[in-house]
Amino acid sequence: MIQLFHVKKAYPGDAPVLDDVTLRIEKGEFVWLTGPSGAGKSTLLKLLFCAETPTSGQILVGGRNIVRLSQGGIPFLRRNIGVVFQDFKLLDNRTVVENVGYALEVLGASDAEIRERSLKRLDQVGLKHKAASLPQRLSGGEQQRVAIARALVNEPTILLADEPTGNLDPGLTDSILQLLFDANARGTTVIVATHDRTLLTRYHKRTIALASGKVVFDA
Amino acid sequence: MIAHVAWRLSRRAAMNLWRAPLPSLVSVLTISLALFIGASFVLGLFAARALLTSWGAQASVTLYLDKETTDEQARGLLQKVVAQSPDLEVVYVDRALALKRLRTELGDLSGALDGLSQNPLPPSLEVTPKSALPPAGVRMLAAQLGQLPGVAEVDYGREWLDKLEALARGLRVFGAGALFTVLGAALLVVANTIRLAVYARRDEIEIMKLVGATDGYVRAPFLLEGALQGLIGAALALGGVVAVQKWLLPGATQAFAFAAGIRAPNLTPAHGAALLGAGAVVGLFGSWLAVARFLRT
Ligand SMILES: Nc1ncnc2c1ncn2[C@@H]1O[C@H](COP(=O)(O)OP(=O)(O)OP(=O)(O)O)[C@@H](O)[C@H]1O
Ligand SMILES: [Mg+2]
Repeated sequence: MIQLFHVKKAYPGDAPVLDDVTLRIEKGEFVWLTGPSGAGKSTLLKLLFCAETPTSGQILVGGRNIVRLSQGGIPFLRRNIGVVFQDFKLLDNRTVVENVGYALEVLGASDAEIRERSLKRLDQVGLKHKAASLPQRLSGGEQQRVAIARALVNEPTILLADEPTGNLDPGLTDSILQLLFDANARGTTVIVATHDRTLLTRYHKRTIALASGKVVFDA
Repeated sequence: MIAHVAWRLSRRAAMNLWRAPLPSLVSVLTISLALFIGASFVLGLFAARALLTSWGAQASVTLYLDKETTDEQARGLLQKVVAQSPDLEVVYVDRALALKRLRTELGDLSGALDGLSQNPLPPSLEVTPKSALPPAGVRMLAAQLGQLPGVAEVDYGREWLDKLEALARGLRVFGAGALFTVLGAALLVVANTIRLAVYARRDEIEIMKLVGATDGYVRAPFLLEGALQGLIGAALALGGVVAVQKWLLPGATQAFAFAAGIRAPNLTPAHGAALLGAGAVVGLFGSWLAVARFLRT
């Protein structure tokens, strides 16, 4: 499903953020991506949905080399990848249900369909009653769940979640992770970036650890 | 699917216009002003051209015939010319009449002619187009008539026509330059307004792109917004031009004696459509510039 070959990412003037990363993640896998702050976790995820381009190396997603993807091909790659951003990226002047609907709108769905499917996802994350609220009025954990609902609303084949449990209390962490496990159970390939080591010991899944841009552990 | 997406995008464009009315208003007013000035220039050019044409038409073509031409031959030639082009008015001036005219023109000095043993003037045909001809048309007519047998010389006020033509050319160049300048200025204002609108919605654009919106989908509402601003501006300019023609010009034409006999050019529906089209194109192109620059970064 996802393959990286000798991927290097360096910003001019700095030491490389990712250095010679080679990885293979199978369809339907659930993977923890861990490592200390600044290790390159977010950068690796950004490479996968073409928010960044690697300095060198090749990346295959679903059998396609996304490094060679044209500008016009990127939107179509992204439609298959749901992303939960580290900073949520919710629009403050749009309601919760509208925020979730964005991922469907760009697919050309009708207004009625967008609303129905968005509400269904919100129901799954337990926020149907907040559909008409603005994101600012929600707690951090609730905003996190809206971001997850948006990432999952168009049934992507890949889900990338960047610190989806950052700054949440343990109870909320479990319920949010459960949403990701559910998606994984439905067949979605899930990669979760986290620096929370306790999660790794609590939920035994494949773990890829980065340190200074290199893969230092994978099992 | 295309229909409801188009509907959603137009709704969004209208909504954006509505949400940020001030910059949009500035844009609309600039476009309308530019197009009003532009349209006035163009209509002024039309009027000037009509005026020049009528002056050109007044310069009739005189065909001097060989001195030996008999009255009969001259009248035959006149018939031939009229038969060939019925929209020409032709008058035969025989040698005696020519001399008489010269006498009248000379007035007190006419005594000088008394010493002549014979009439030195050739007979001539005076050709006047019944309907106005542009300078180039007069020139062509003169060349054509000069080919006729028995015509010794053609006089059509060549220098006068040359000056008229130069004047018309100058007006055209100046008008085109002015038109491009005002339209260019309007374009930049629209581009700037849309750039502000894009900037205000950069978060939304970023998210739309991250969830898989194509550039075209992101661009469309802004292009529509720009085109809409252009259209509204053009409609205002059109209203202004029509108002000026209806209420201001009739009085003005009476006031200016030189324009007597020249009607202000009428604004045809085609002109109106062209004006609206120009507005839409300016708006569209302006927003294209703004969005293209944003999407690239
Ligand atoms: N646009 C950029 N320009 C320059 N350096 C960057 C840029 N983006 C990221 N970096 C650098 O890349 C390194 C890795 O960043 P990244 O966000 O991938 O880390 P991370 O593992 O996600 O950390 P965290 O756990 O804090 O989120 C950091 O040192 C960061 O400063
Ligand atoms: Mg990060």
